[in-house]
Amino acid sequence: MKKLNVVLVLVLLMVAGIPAAFAQSRTVSGKITDASGAPIQGANILVKGTNVGTTTNADGEYTINVPASGNTLVVSYVGHATQELPISGRNNISVALIEDTGELERVVVTALGIQKTQKALGFSQTTVGGENFTQAREISTANALAGRVAGVNVTKIASGPAGSSRVVIRGAKTLGSTLNQPLYVVDGVPIDNSNFGQAGVWGGADQGDGMSSINPDDIESMTVLKGAGAAALYGSRAANGVILITTKKGSGRKGIGVEVNSNYVFEKVNNLTDFQTEFGSGGLVNPTGTSGLSTQVPKFAESIEEHWNNWWGLSAWGPRLGTGQVVQFDGVTRPYTYKGDNWDRFYETGNTFTNTVALTGGTPEQNFRFSASSLQNEAVVPNSGFDRINLSLSANAKFAKRFSLNTKVLYSNEKAKNRPNLSDSPGNGILTLYYLPGDVDVRDLLGDPKKPGAVPSGEQQAAQGLTIFDGKPPGEEFQINYNLWTQNPYWAAYQQINTDTRDRVIATGEVRYDFTDFLYLSGQAGMDWYTLRSTRLTPQGTGHNRGGQMSELENRTREINLQYMLGFNKTFSKIGVNAFIGGNRMRRQSENMSLDGTNFNLAQFPAITNANLKSYGYGFGKNGINSLFGSVELNYNEYLFLTGTARKDWFSVLNPDDNSILYPSVNASFVFTDAFDGLPSWLSYGKLRTSWAQVGNASSVSPYSTKLTYAASLTHLGLPLAGNTSGTNLPNFFLKPFTSTETEFGIDLRFFQNRLGLDFTYYSQKTTDDILNAAISRASGYTSHSVNLGEITNKGIEFLLTGTPIKSEIQWDISLNFAKNNSNVVSLIEGQKSLSGEEPRTRTVLISHIVGYPYGMITGISQLKDPATGLLVYDADGAPVTDNSYQILGNGVPDFTGGLNNSFTWKNLNLTFLIDFKSGGDIYSGTNVRMTQDGFTKQTLKGREGEEPLTVTGVTDDGAGGYKPFSKTLTPGEAANYWGKLGDRASENFVYDASFIKLRQVTLGYQIPKKILSKTPVQGLMVSFVARNLAILKKNTPNIDPESSYTSSNSQGLDYFGFPATRTYGFNLRATF
Amino acid sequence: MKYIKRLIIGSSILGIIGAGVGCNTDELKGLNVDPQALDNVDPNFLFTSVELGTASGGTAGDNRYIDWRTNINFAAYAIQQLASTGGELGSRYVESGSTFESSNAPFEFIYGDQLKNISVIFKLTGPGGAYEGQFNNMVQASRILRVFLYHRLTDYYGNIPYFEAMQADSGVYFPHYDSQELIYQDLLNELDEATAAITDPTDALGEVELTAMSRADIIFNGDLDKWRRWGYSLMLRLGMRVADVKPDWANTYVAKAVAGGVMESNDDNVFIPTAEAPSLWTNQNGISRAFIPGDGGQSSLVSETLVNVLKGPNAASTADDDPRIMVLLGGIGAWTPDGFDPIAGGTDPLNQKGMPVGKTQNDLDAIEGHVVDQNLTYSRINPKLLDRAEPYMLMNYGEVELYLAEAAKRGIGGVDPGSAATHYNAGVKASMQMYTPYDASLTVSDQAVADYLAMFPYNDATALEQIGLQMWLNHYLNWWEAWSEWRRTGFPVLTPVNFPGNSTGGTIPVRLKYPGAEVGGNPNFAEGASPNDYTTRVWWDVD
Repeated sequence: MKKLNVVLVLVLLMVAGIPAAFAQSRTVSGKITDASGAPIQGANILVKGTNVGTTTNADGEYTINVPASGNTLVVSYVGHATQELPISGRNNISVALIEDTGELERVVVTALGIQKTQKALGFSQTTVGGENFTQAREISTANALAGRVAGVNVTKIASGPAGSSRVVIRGAKTLGSTLNQPLYVVDGVPIDNSNFGQAGVWGGADQGDGMSSINPDDIESMTVLKGAGAAALYGSRAANGVILITTKKGSGRKGIGVEVNSNYVFEKVNNLTDFQTEFGSGGLVNPTGTSGLSTQVPKFAESIEEHWNNWWGLSAWGPRLGTGQVVQFDGVTRPYTYKGDNWDRFYETGNTFTNTVALTGGTPEQNFRFSASSLQNEAVVPNSGFDRINLSLSANAKFAKRFSLNTKVLYSNEKAKNRPNLSDSPGNGILTLYYLPGDVDVRDLLGDPKKPGAVPSGEQQAAQGLTIFDGKPPGEEFQINYNLWTQNPYWAAYQQINTDTRDRVIATGEVRYDFTDFLYLSGQAGMDWYTLRSTRLTPQGTGHNRGGQMSELENRTREINLQYMLGFNKTFSKIGVNAFIGGNRMRRQSENMSLDGTNFNLAQFPAITNANLKSYGYGFGKNGINSLFGSVELNYNEYLFLTGTARKDWFSVLNPDDNSILYPSVNASFVFTDAFDGLPSWLSYGKLRTSWAQVGNASSVSPYSTKLTYAASLTHLGLPLAGNTSGTNLPNFFLKPFTSTETEFGIDLRFFQNRLGLDFTYYSQKTTDDILNAAISRASGYTSHSVNLGEITNKGIEFLLTGTPIKSEIQWDISLNFAKNNSNVVSLIEGQKSLSGEEPRTRTVLISHIVGYPYGMITGISQLKDPATGLLVYDADGAPVTDNSYQILGNGVPDFTGGLNNSFTWKNLNLTFLIDFKSGGDIYSGTNVRMTQDGFTKQTLKGREGEEPLTVTGVTDDGAGGYKPFSKTLTPGEAANYWGKLGDRASENFVYDASFIKLRQVTLGYQIPKKILSKTPVQGLMVSFVARNLAILKKNTPNIDPESSYTSSNSQGLDYFGFPATRTYGFNLRATF
Repeated sequence: MKYIKRLIIGSSILGIIGAGVGCNTDELKGLNVDPQALDNVDPNFLFTSVELGTASGGTAGDNRYIDWRTNINFAAYAIQQLASTGGELGSRYVESGSTFESSNAPFEFIYGDQLKNISVIFKLTGPGGAYEGQFNNMVQASRILRVFLYHRLTDYYGNIPYFEAMQADSGVYFPHYDSQELIYQDLLNELDEATAAITDPTDALGEVELTAMSRADIIFNGDLDKWRRWGYSLMLRLGMRVADVKPDWANTYVAKAVAGGVMESNDDNVFIPTAEAPSLWTNQNGISRAFIPGDGGQSSLVSETLVNVLKGPNAASTADDDPRIMVLLGGIGAWTPDGFDPIAGGTDPLNQKGMPVGKTQNDLDAIEGHVVDQNLTYSRINPKLLDRAEPYMLMNYGEVELYLAEAAKRGIGGVDPGSAATHYNAGVKASMQMYTPYDASLTVSDQAVADYLAMFPYNDATALEQIGLQMWLNHYLNWWEAWSEWRRTGFPVLTPVNFPGNSTGGTIPVRLKYPGAEVGGNPNFAEGASPNDYTTRVWWDVD
């Protein structure tokens, strides 16, 4: 009922105001062009001091009804200086806008959708125009922010096209379970960006996140509210920054405007491996009568028994390739020679085809935009991909001059087909591909061509002379090894299923009533609602799960926000006041249901009803936040601005006796070039800004998580099995959201008529009361306990340099951004020095947050050193001796990030490229550990027969409690033993500097001249060559991409057989009618 | 004026909305009640969880993990009943990435599941608890289970957190380590108190409580005599375990155990029933799952050491075979998800053949003189012992009699030295006849037992070795206990493997390592923990 009340009251208010407002107004029209006289489409026309506005059509024309009180029009457009034009009784006002690379006067969207001029902002925020996402595309638009905004660290996870992304702004704020991801707000509606699952130590797939729903063609702009100052009005949801997505809307125009965009790109695997191809499958064995490592010699399988029983299928410790006949996993004898690149044979050329049609039309008062878009993706892993359909409708209306209504509905349907398994092996075909020795051709693993990856039929077995060593019947997995977890890559791709569909509606309706030209009331209702439906299948006959397993899952999530705001905006002589108060009511509910089945009754018939053992799962969570907020901005003479804001949030999830938190902020900006006369003429503009704010993170406390409760969800022999519901985590009744306090200073300078600009920010952020799911001793009964004890700081600088070095027939625009963030873990639970995160499957490395060190250190067990001499300790065989304790080996998070954007325009040609870079981070490569253990990496050539010898020098146990000098040139057996143990005992050898420079994006566009199109209905046509991730210009990680993290969790810097790196390139075509 | 009027109207309406939308928090408070959970739960339900969990860590939702990692992949190889060309730590004493899991599993599962649930039972029935003072017998049974779990833990690791453990909800997140000696002292005392505190119901309320317990108790269905007998049998086991380091404790508690009444027949055996459904991860037998082809799929091939013992001194004759030979062994042949498929003659006791321990495939090929197909060459565990719903044994009567035989032989606890042979014979008989619950066809006749004992009678001169060997055989499938007994007695004498690059200097590991998270994460670790290697003996393990 309350919801209805709000709407009713607002409607009543508006109706009451209509008669008064209808009276004296006038219609003004005109044309807005650029300096060359070309019409500008989409320029904003606003009656100063009101919310009355419109935008220009494709011909640059506009018509606007100016209320009686209006006497000035404000005309603005991206990249151009805003102009204020007195109406002075005119009915036709046209103007040419002058380009303004500084965008200083530009009206920008700030928190809660409030529009302000850039100069009024006392904090840093950055807007990226939608055109940056629509040519060279990413399926999830969050990934397209990489390198664009100083201080925004975007990591695309090595998990394939439908995977999730990790966007961290100004460093991680929490060590807790929340993912340090910003709040995404689409047209004023906070949307859910939940992560639906990540690969972990035991494998698994990246189940994607919320941002993949958004169609880049609908995006007008993305604004990154980086710090607490910019995001303060979002209170308890702002700690990780906020990204505002403004979608496109309609404008008044003659007839219907049609815009068509088609994009087709290819995707190819960028194989970064550089493995040895000299030695093939096999292992080291002792000739009869000998024992010990030193006499071992390499050997390959000469019988199928030898192959299987030695587990030689995935080991490259055999003899030198070139002579002899090897018996392989299927009993077939093949030449023991290098068979070529298996990646090339297995991976396909992916492609993504996106088509969007957008229609706009209507009058300046009532208009709409409708778009329909379809994306079809086939990934490089066979039989997988991602499809998406987006529909969007935006309708805006003004009634009776003072009453405006804006509605938007975005619908998306996403279908992810077969998200690949990563990390540990169950189902990870990518891993198997790495492990194939040089003498194996992956195509021999295909098996039954009608059922790829399955044991072929009896006839086919006979025809090809196959022996199925493990006796599996036709139709079950064609195994290559006794290791049941080694998945046949074809079986993984074609027989396993991990598919999901999400239907999602993001809808918002906003009504606004302007009482006067300085007082308005607005109300907004927004909803994000989706259903995610997944099917996961491990088919009957799979090696590690012969009975088979299946899950049917459904997740339904809905968040509704109701918000109202009363605003005041007036200038009294030299003092301007812009203030508002308002409230918000948030309710979120998430429910998930799952049906799980194991062991199919009828073989090879994957249906949940066919499962022999069935169980179900159910999860439910509901929470709410009520808020009141307000903001006052005062300005003196439009060059000195002072703003204060406050938001108080009441939480359902907290201790009811103490369930609210106040989030304050203040900021100031001073445009000294406007304040002082007599400054040098080369200084075009100068502004100083500062802010202080406190924000929080509500999602860090989930519903029902503050109490120890019990349930009996399992049964045994019909009896309930009770246990505590929080599993291994001990809840805390007094838990509250963590707080982030941030101070920021900045300066914004423009020189030489804005040809050169510098924007510099320094910030100092501190998280207090951080929620630590602190690792506690297993012996305490739990593995973790949620406590508000952590403190972490982030201090950093952000630079944005923009310039136009050439501005003639050729224009060259360049923009360089970079940011340095120093994080520091100040405190954890008393007495605790470190908090452990995730570990990779090698289980010798842990991501740890260590007091006095930056966030996210990589620690691992290392080779023991003689404390007296510092020399490395070896055992008698020359293998490393481990110290068994976790040493700090690196930092999984880069501290220096940035991007270089270049744009060259010559006549109708435009070339842009984006180079981005990161440094200061490291990555632990489990892939390299395993590939070294089993003789694949090139370094393992050392010590083999006929190769460079391997000599280890250090110390060894002297048998008397000390160490003695030791040096040994290893025999092939000892060398294989050395490489086999190196990763397990000395993980420091596999931590690499993850710095990189990448050529992230290139576009080359050609605008077909109007002359050519004049006889056609086409008004504009642009064709572009587009490419993403074309080249890695610099990296230090052998065999892997430095961006190989398999998880978007807080444990960054772990690589273990993730999705291979890819590059995409293709064409984009945009036509307007 | 008109603006002011509108402003007043607008503001007052806003005020009304504000009261509803903004800070009205009563409704908010009502939102935070989980419709799927309770503040208190009937402790009997937790008791069932504890019992099931004590088999394979069941309720933690991954029942095959702990058996797979530690019982099989470590202990069964180390104690040389199974053999494999894999299994690094157990068969070759070589440390690698996956061997950490063998070491970690008991620490992670026993503390994190069963002991935690027991602590909740104590909290709910203790002072101030929702069930304060109720369910006395179930609480005493929980104490016995707690002793069983802690003694296993300390036997694997040595010093462990004990007195301060399980108190996270009182703010003890990093419990101190206690010496094994102090832990044993308390465990023995706990058994003393718990067995004494088991009370037959004397009133209607007591009957109601016992009815509730008998429903929840999947081990003994509330049979209090059986609980007492298990409690005293456990006291016997623990007493004997410290016999070499604390003879006076051994005397005291063995005597107490005998006086209190230990197990009397295989009917007293502690079996946890498992079930096929509803979830393979919770309800099934974890040992079976670890081996079942297409599930865990671990190699189920047995060792040469074991087969030679079962075949007796004359391998060419079945006359001197242990009657268990074709109970413990299924024969030679492939075991696939479709069933066990013996080779021709594969189930003939004469043809049984175990795999030499600690070998590589290459070694086996060299021994046999041809390329060996392990599955068709060596005997395997009887698949009839490895059904998905097989009962999971924690302790048995045969073991108790063998302890009594040893106590008699060594004169511990006042057990009549003259009764050693009787106890030995009873122990062997019970051990041989305890497999009927797995499969009716696995019954060994009284005659077969008698023939065996006639052929290999109790011999006072070699009694300890005989008892040790029988204990070793008794603990088939219960390899971690076999490993503990072997550490204590040194019997049977096993020849260690000396594999290149091993981590123990060629000796069988005598303890597990603590989990890395505990080593690095518990600030109290350095103070009282045992040396973190595989070669430092635990307190009771002396020559």
